[in-house]
Order: sequence, then C-alpha cells, then structure tokens
Amino acid sequence: MNAVSLENVSVSFFDRPILQAVNALFPAGRISVLVGRSGSGKTTLLRTVNRLNEEFPGCRTSGTITIDCGGGPCNIYARPNEGGLSLPELRRRVGMLFQTPNCFPVSVYRNIAMPLALTAGVNANDIPDKAREALAAVGLWEELKDRLDMPAERLSGGQQQRLCLARLLALNPSILLLDEPTASLDVHAARQIEDLLLDLAPRYTVIMVSHGLRQARHMADQILICEKGRLTGIIEDPARLDEEHLAERIYASDATDADASTRV
Amino acid sequence: MTRPLCFRLITAIAPLTAALLPACLLGLLAFLVFKGLPTLGMELFFGDTPPVAALLGRQPVWDGLWPACAGSLCLVGLTLGLSLFPGVGCGIFLAEYAPPRLKSLAGAAVDMLAGTPSIVMGLFGFTLILFLRHTFMPGATTCLLLAAGCLALLVLPVLIVGTREALEAVPQNLILTAASLGLTKNQRIRHVQLPAAAPGIWSGVILALGRAAEDTAVIMLTGVVANAGLPAGIGAKFEALPFSIFYTAAQYQSPEELQRAFGAALVLLLLAGGLILAARFFENRYRRRWQGSAA
Amino acid sequence: MMPQAGAHTGESRAALPALAAGLALLGIGLLFAMVIIAALPAFLDHGAGSVFTWSWRPYRGEFGILAMLSGSVILSVSALLLAWPLALALCFWIITSPRSPFLVPVRGCLRLMTAVPTVVYGFAAVFLITPLVRAGLGGSGFCWLAAALVLTLLVLPTMALIMEAGLAPRLSALCPGGLAVGLDRMELLWFFVLPLSRKTLLAAALLGLGRAFGDTLVPLMLAGNAPQIPAGPGDSLRTLTAHMALVTANEVGGAAYNSLFAAGALLLAVTALTSLMLRRIQAALDTGAEQQ
Repeated sequence: MNAVSLENVSVSFFDRPILQAVNALFPAGRISVLVGRSGSGKTTLLRTVNRLNEEFPGCRTSGTITIDCGGGPCNIYARPNEGGLSLPELRRRVGMLFQTPNCFPVSVYRNIAMPLALTAGVNANDIPDKAREALAAVGLWEELKDRLDMPAERLSGGQQQRLCLARLLALNPSILLLDEPTASLDVHAARQIEDLLLDLAPRYTVIMVSHGLRQARHMADQILICEKGRLTGIIEDPARLDEEHLAERIYASDATDADASTRV
Repeated sequence: MTRPLCFRLITAIAPLTAALLPACLLGLLAFLVFKGLPTLGMELFFGDTPPVAALLGRQPVWDGLWPACAGSLCLVGLTLGLSLFPGVGCGIFLAEYAPPRLKSLAGAAVDMLAGTPSIVMGLFGFTLILFLRHTFMPGATTCLLLAAGCLALLVLPVLIVGTREALEAVPQNLILTAASLGLTKNQRIRHVQLPAAAPGIWSGVILALGRAAEDTAVIMLTGVVANAGLPAGIGAKFEALPFSIFYTAAQYQSPEELQRAFGAALVLLLLAGGLILAARFFENRYRRRWQGSAA
Repeated sequence: MMPQAGAHTGESRAALPALAAGLALLGIGLLFAMVIIAALPAFLDHGAGSVFTWSWRPYRGEFGILAMLSGSVILSVSALLLAWPLALALCFWIITSPRSPFLVPVRGCLRLMTAVPTVVYGFAAVFLITPLVRAGLGGSGFCWLAAALVLTLLVLPTMALIMEAGLAPRLSALCPGGLAVGLDRMELLWFFVLPLSRKTLLAAALLGLGRAFGDTLVPLMLAGNAPQIPAGPGDSLRTLTAHMALVTANEVGGAAYNSLFAAGALLLAVTALTSLMLRRIQAALDTGAEQQ
C-alpha cells in the first residue's frame, strides 16, 4: 500500500518552476529518503504533502496528491464536505520536522500541550497523559519530568529536536516529513535521533530529506534522487550497496552532465 | 591620501562630544539632586496634611505634589486604557492581516501621526471642545477624559509601531512550524506569534507610558490647571506633574514653591529613568511567567 | 483545479484587529480633518485681521503669525546646525572606539537622555543656561541662543543613535579588509562609509528637524516669546508652538483663535511633510539601495 502518491505534481513560485511533473509513490510503513543537491527541489517536494508551500507568497501547485492514512486514499485538496480533510486535520496527520529545532518560546510542557489542545482538540484532562506518552516515546520523559516548566529554549540542540518530534508524535500522525532532521546537530545527537527514528519507523510512513549518504544508506528503504525539480531515479533497498556504489548511482547523472558540458 | 580639514576637525571633536553629552546629563542630574533632594520626603507630596488622610482624599493638599501626582496617574491610566486596544490591535492588523496597499497607506498615516508635534494633538482636543460647544453640547469643557483622549493619539504610534515590529521580528521558522502542526492563522498569531513578540510589545507599552506621563503640551490645551486638587472625575479639570513644573518655573511666588518644583522635576526625571528599568523588569517577569506555566 | 496560495488557510478572520485598526485610523483622520478644517477660515481670510502678516498686536486687531513661523524655522534650523555635526562626531566616536571602557556608559547615557522629559530640560535650563547666556550676551537670558542650546541637547541623542544604527553595520562589513590595508577605523568611516551613507545622515537630520520644530516646552520656557524676528542670538523670539500655548492660555476667543488654528495647521503641514520624506528615505534604506 502506498501512503502518499504524487501524480504529475508541479510547483512554482512567482512563475519560476521548482518542481516539474513529479510522479512518486511512498509505501506505507517505510522510510523513503530524498537526496540531491541543494536547490534541486527536495524540500519543496516534501512540503507539497502537507501543503506547507502555500504559506509562501507566489506559490502555485498543480497535479494530484493523495494520502492514505489507513482509511483509503484521499486527495489532499478535496474539501472536507467532499470527503477530504481540512487543512489543520491534514497537517495533524502529516507531521513535519524541520532542519533546525523550532521549539515555541514557551515551557517544555506547553510546547506539547498547546498543539494538542488547538489542533487535535484533545480534552484538557487527557493532555498531561498524552504529553507524558509523547515525551516517553522520544526518551525525554526521564530527563525532563521534573523540569517541564523550563523554557524549551534552554534545552540542548538534540533535546530540542527530540522535543519537536514528541510534539509531532503527540498529535498521532501517520505520515512524518523530516527535512534534514539531524543537519544542525552534533554527531552524537544526530545518531540519537537516527536511532529514535529507526525505532519509530515501522509505525509511520517516513519521507525524509537527507544530505548525508551514510545516513541515507543507513535508514532508507528506498532512495529517491532529485535533480533540477525532477525525480531522476529510485534506488530500492540501498543497504545492499556500499557507499561508493551508492554515490556513483546518485551522482551518475551529474557526471554525464559534467562530461557533456566539458565536451561542448 | 590627503586628510581634509573637516576630517581632522571631526576626529578632534569626536572624543569631546563623547565626554560632553554624559557631562550634560550628569550636570542636569547633579543640579536637580542638589536642589531637589533636600525636599524629597512626605512633606514634598503632602505638605502639612497627614499623608493617610490625603491619600484617602479626606483632606485636600494645598502645598504638596500629591494632587499633581494623582492627576498624572489618572491621566496615564486613562490614556493607556484608551490607547491599548486600538494601538496593539492596529499593530497586529498591520503586521498580519492588512493587504499590502492598505499596509503602506496606514503605515504612512501612522508615520505622520508619529511626527506630529504634541501641541497639535492638544489643539485637536481644544478644537473638538469648541466644536461641541457650538453644536450639541453647549456645556462641553476641557477635562481629564479629553486630555487622555489626545494623549492616546500621541502614544498610538508608539504602540502600533512597537507591536508591528515585534510581530514582524518573529522568526519565519517558528510561524512555519506552527503552520505545519495544523494551527490556523488566528491560532498561530494568538498562541505563537503574540507570545513570542510579547517582550517587544511590552516595551512599546512602557515607552507609551513614559510619553504620556511626561508630555506637557497636550494637556496645556486640554484642561490641566495649576490648582484643581484631586481629580474629581473624568469630566473635571485636573493637575499634572509636568505642568506643575512648567507652571512653577514661570509663576512661582515663594522660594518654597520653587523648592517644590525642583522636587517635582527630580521626581519626574526619576520616573522617566525608572520606567526604562521597569520596562526591562516587566519584560523579564512576563517572559518567565508565560514560559513557566505548566498545565 | 488546485487553489492558489493565500486562500487556503481558511478562516483568517481578523474582526478585532481590523476594528482596532479602524479606530486608530479614524482617530488619525479625525485629527487631520479637524485641524485643517479649523484653519480654513484663517487661511481664506485676507482682510485686516489676516494671519499672514508680520505683526502681532491683538489689541490693535493685528494677528500676523509670520514672525512666529520664521521664529520656528530659525530656532529649529539653528539647533539642527549645532546638533547634526555633534551627533556625527559622537557617532564617529562610538563606532570607532569598540574597546573603550567608556563605550557602555556613554551609550547608556544616550539612551537615558532620549527619555528625559522636555519640561525637565526646560526647567533646569531656566536656572543653568539662562544665567550664563545673560552673563555672556546681556539681556534677560531668555533668547534664541538659550533655546537653541537646549534643543540641541534634546535632539542630539536620537540623531546620534540613528546615525550609529546606519553606519556601524557598513563599517563592520569593511573592517577586516580595510584595517589590513593599513587604514584606521576613522579613515575607513570618513572615506568609504560616509559617502555611501547620505540617506542615513539625511534621515537623522530630518528626524532632528521634526522634533526641534515641533517642541513646545523648550522655546516656551526659554526663548522669551516676543513676537519678532530676532536680530541676533541674544534676542527673544516666539515659535509657532509657543504661540499656540500662549494664545490658549491668555486669549478668550475671536480672531486670536484664528492664528492658533493657522499655526496648528502650519505645524502639521511641515511635520507631516518631514515624516513622509523620512518614510521614503527609510524605505530606500530598507531595500538596501543606498544610492550615491
């Protein structure tokens, strides 16, 4: 089953095309990793799934995007009265983790409690339990249970990113979009997040942007290669290849490009 | 490279100006402290009247600053009451909701208001009363409410610009994160952007407070008097601290009165300095409280 | 078939902020309309009591405010001419002395000085400046010079802070390379940063001018308030702002009020124009296009 499918999706900002006619399938319960150079449209591709591109001015999206959260496929642009999802509901089910940890400037506890109350409409009595579960799921509960009142900004980078993940998980999403979630962290914290994600992965559909080949190989069930706004290749089960071969596969098209330009 | 005369001149006077300005401030402070400090005390505020009776309004104070202080307090409170909603609300509107064209037009209007001299605000109130007198309210007169209304106009740009800039300084990432969690625009503004911008908005409010407390020109045209006692109501004439300083400087009858004016000037100066510190204090306290509340 | 960005986020209703903005703009509109309409009769009347004459003798039916207008211009321009170079020099010192132990206290003083009530300045100057001026120039001491000195002190901190905010980033962008070439900070500032910063310097001047032109208490308390053109810095003068305060305090209506409204409208016109120019300059600065 595919949890997310993109059909002929194009995105432009102020008429400048960023993504062109992308077709992609993301199987449920698997980790799909998008790789490619910066500017190749990876992040934009990721943001089509929760319609976050539309928060930027001049954005125009075309094509069909369907998600399946277990209840059958659903066009994300369909109106709620046509069987679709409202935007808050879509974004609750499709959680996103950013490159830098973006904790709200409030306490650790409120970081989790606020979205729960606002978008998931959770009953006030249930919020403390849900918050504890979410913190436990990312391994923060033991570290922070006595310091929930502390401003989230005082946590370390790795803790902040885990808090952001907990904030997502508390909303009970089925699809996770991860935009280079370890890029701003030190090696140790990055490993911790990676292990955590691998642990969680079977229960979610993960689409992740990554710059690190090691990380992509280590985590991915499939690797999708982005180049100049298009998907140019898919590598299934990359763990069978070693990093050198992987790099060859991924940058093969670049090389031919470079050859072409030197030849001319 | 040749070094023109201007350059040599400015290089020479630069350290002098750096010494001159603080010297002026210290000189001012020293002068007021020297002249005003001996007067500081209960007597400065309440004269011969027992302080408790004066505070409760049971006995009038004839030779103290208390009526002026009370008048200023009422004035500032009323001004803030009148300006807080339109000021902060307008700032939110301009930062988050206004279409670009309206944004630039309203921005221009606010900028023009910010540059308008305070005495013109006073003139506005004065004209309004004349107009009312000749139309529906023959008995209309300048009063506390009118002065507060005009002062509200004076501090409006401070509040609007402070709120707007604070909101616009909230990092885009934070807004995007809130959006990705499914918060609607209104929820985002209320629960993420406003709290994040709160310190900036607070400092705008404190600045507005300071301007309302120190302005003299507006109230001169809108109902301040030298001897009104405690303000009797929002429709009554009133006394105010800055006006009593101005008035005494021009009209003092006795050395004691002049002494009192020195005391008043010192009090006002300390108030202005204190407000800047208070801005810091409230900022920190608010931030702690907001970030600290679990459940 | 897909909606464009913008229309998506659903109910972005903004009833309360819109109401607040409406109120604020209504207030601004009312202020401008009222002040201008009240002044119309004065501007349209060119008879014997016209405000556009040079002499103010209410008891003889002469209500000219041109002397006050020139008083305002003379006083604010002279204060600006004093304050602008001083502010520039101060800004130079602040930017070029990054390691001075006095930097923090001097900047603290500057910020504190922007908060000193004008009435306190005026009050202290009555006892501190006027005796000095009296000793130097004779007369009462309540004159052009006394008011100009205090106004200078009033506008200087704001101007210096604006200049610093504009010039400091440009200098620090130049610094590592420039210092390596062997120029010191002062030279870099003078030869490379200053020619590129005309707009910042102009903005500071306009802001100072607006404040000096619109201030009431300092001229009212210190300039002597004689409705005349001063012949020298020791002469008394009256500004539009002081005139307004005096008329409302002393007159009870009639033609004298016409001069009040006319003075108000003139003040509003000048300061509104200044604000708009400032806005244009700042917009140009914000887009980063400081043309030479």
